[in-house]
Amino acid sequence: MRIWLEMSIFAMALLLQPLSHAADKGGNQAGEPYDEDTYGPQAPTVWVKPVKSVIFEHRVHTMDAGLDCGSCHDDLFEMSSGAAAEKDDFTMAAIYKGKYCGSCHDGSTVYNANTRCTTCHIGVRGHQRLERAQAEKGRAK
Amino acid sequence: MNDKDVQRREALGTDRRQEISLLERRALLKLGFAITGVFLGGSVLSLVSERRADAAGAPAIGGYPYNPHYTMVIRERHCIDCELCKEACVKTNGVPAYGYRTTILEKRRALEEGKFETTFMPVLCNHCNKPPCVRVCPTTATWKDKTTGIVGIYRPSLCIGCKTCMTACPYNARYFNEERRTIDKCDFCFASRLSKGEKTTACAAACPADVRVFGNLADPGDRVYRLLHAPETMIWVLRPETGAVPNVFYVNT
Repeated sequence: MRIWLEMSIFAMALLLQPLSHAADKGGNQAGEPYDEDTYGPQAPTVWVKPVKSVIFEHRVHTMDAGLDCGSCHDDLFEMSSGAAAEKDDFTMAAIYKGKYCGSCHDGSTVYNANTRCTTCHIGVRGHQRLERAQAEKGRAK
Repeated sequence: MNDKDVQRREALGTDRRQEISLLERRALLKLGFAITGVFLGGSVLSLVSERRADAAGAPAIGGYPYNPHYTMVIRERHCIDCELCKEACVKTNGVPAYGYRTTILEKRRALEEGKFETTFMPVLCNHCNKPPCVRVCPTTATWKDKTTGIVGIYRPSLCIGCKTCMTACPYNARYFNEERRTIDKCDFCFASRLSKGEKTTACAAACPADVRVFGNLADPGDRVYRLLHAPETMIWVLRPETGAVPNVFYVNT
């Protein structure tokens, strides 16, 4: 009984191996590798203004959710990284009024920006963890 | 609960929870559970943690021995760990980099593979009604003020830096200040702000998400009173089992 369980776990691990490889390269579950020209920068965008620290991942929105670049650029967000943070109205109040992220995160298209705060607000701790992970990745390479 | 009780309970039909006697309800309440329903053909009782159970540390009316009874309510799920509160505290109270008067902790619950649900938890001195740190101080350098209820090091010249209070504190709210050679801790900004006429602490004033609500629990018109006495509000405190009777409450409203 036990040996069967162990064998099946081993078999499952073997089966999952190609998938986890794809995930290493930032690809999706179907094994498609992440292409920055199609899906945008692979490294997450982290805003530290007006508050620390808010994460945005292109992969989640393009490769996973199926949006194209034109869905957000250049109407909601300028192409250059961090441009939104320089605007005075890059605030939750503006987002609740449908600007920036609030264009989709309105509660009907997808979940409302006034719920699930810590999904994007990773905070100072989350940012530090992300930087540590990236530094470790850099050392591994 | 004996076998007979169990049999009788199993015999109850679906959603006939009114048939559960008052005595049994009370027994469950004592354990910190409330009865919400009877499911699965009456064989399983559904129990949830009792809201506002005294065991969880919710404040009891008449249990506020000070006036003002300084209290902080933390609206936990709104915290985004921007740490503006920490920055304001450091600036206002001259806290060194190796210590803190308040900080943010993080709980991460694993969801599906590689995904987490994060909750940030601001912590600070709970200004307990029965402060374990005060009881252990061998030189009476620290005590709980008789009018404000604020726990402070009121006679730092008496502090010998033995750190016994640091060990006794259930909330890890004290640190040793190397420069002053004494223990330092949150005093609800009494020295830096409240004594100068300000109405709130630096951390509460700095919070952009309205997480930290500071006020007087003895005043029914105060926001902290209203937050803690709103019906159906789940209120919890940290480490209620220590019996310290803390004055920092956590809610998700």
